[in-house]
Amino acid sequence: MDREVHMGEIEVAKDDENLVASGIGSCLVITFCDPKQKIGALAHTMLPARRMSFEVRNPKDERRKTNYKSSDTRYADTAIDEMLKRIEALGAKRENIEAKLIGGANMFPALKSDIGEDNISYAREKLKSAGIKLVGECVGGSQGRSMEFFVPSGIVTVKMKF
Amino acid sequence: MQEKLKEINKQAAMNASMALSKLINRPVGIEIPRAEVKRVEELRPLLGLGEIVAGIYLPVTGDIKGAALLVIPKESAFTMSDLLVKRKPGTTRKLTELDESALKEVGNIISGNYLTILSNILQVKVIEHLPSFSFDMFGAIVSQIIVEFARKVDKALVIELEFVFKPEILKGYFILLFEVEQFKALIGSLGEA
Repeated sequence: MDREVHMGEIEVAKDDENLVASGIGSCLVITFCDPKQKIGALAHTMLPARRMSFEVRNPKDERRKTNYKSSDTRYADTAIDEMLKRIEALGAKRENIEAKLIGGANMFPALKSDIGEDNISYAREKLKSAGIKLVGECVGGSQGRSMEFFVPSGIVTVKMKF
Repeated sequence: MQEKLKEINKQAAMNASMALSKLINRPVGIEIPRAEVKRVEELRPLLGLGEIVAGIYLPVTGDIKGAALLVIPKESAFTMSDLLVKRKPGTTRKLTELDESALKEVGNIISGNYLTILSNILQVKVIEHLPSFSFDMFGAIVSQIIVEFARKVDKALVIELEFVFKPEILKGYFILLFEVEQFKALIGSLGEA
């Protein structure tokens, strides 16, 4: 069964389930798989970290204090923490978890947006500091992606325009 | 809101039709069958997230800050390219630089005319910037624009377009995204509480 994971959402899955995300641009999809337990998680994140986005761009905006949620799954940093919490609750072992990254493109290269690149580099760092193995990537460039994550095997397939 | 928005749509469509007809030297009608405010999450079902579209994005600054995006589904973009660059109908199967440039010009015409009328009727200063082009998945294009504005955008004005190149009618969407406070003010100016 396929389950679509939209922007800003996290889903966990066990056994014979596929998690999918379509039309990924600058967003970054992070997948976790514990192949021994056949448990997976997928986060469709939009921005690297809260402190790097809204607060930095809007230092005087009061909303930064009231809108913050530590489980805000739109940001790679809090999403990775939340994924770990949920996948470990299902029995995954951190030392077995294998991570993959998909996305982080810039759909309009003429605009020199750094969001995609920031998403990739921040997620890599965060995974390293959390002690999670990064085993595969399909990131960067200027093309959109759609992906499927087959949870029992951990295989991720990515489709691009051409 | 309906009356002012209808007036903006009518004038913008008329001016854009004239400009586009002049550009390609044959009559083209532009019609706006529907225009409505949607939450950004509701943009997803407009077209499939993985559907290939031509996206022409123009950043907007001035009294209202945001983005204007013209979306033309793949097959319509191919047909429009045939007409714009005067190829035999059904010839375009891949977009060249010339096609991209012609489609960007269509984006300029739609956006320029719409924003000019909007700014005149609502008395706001609007500056549109150079268009950027992407021919890719609808979800990837629209999500990047939403993400650029992070949490500052939550609603969009979605304007359905029909380009009437007789006998062809090609569909597209013109989407305006503005920052939350400015969007509220804009909707307020259009008469909706």
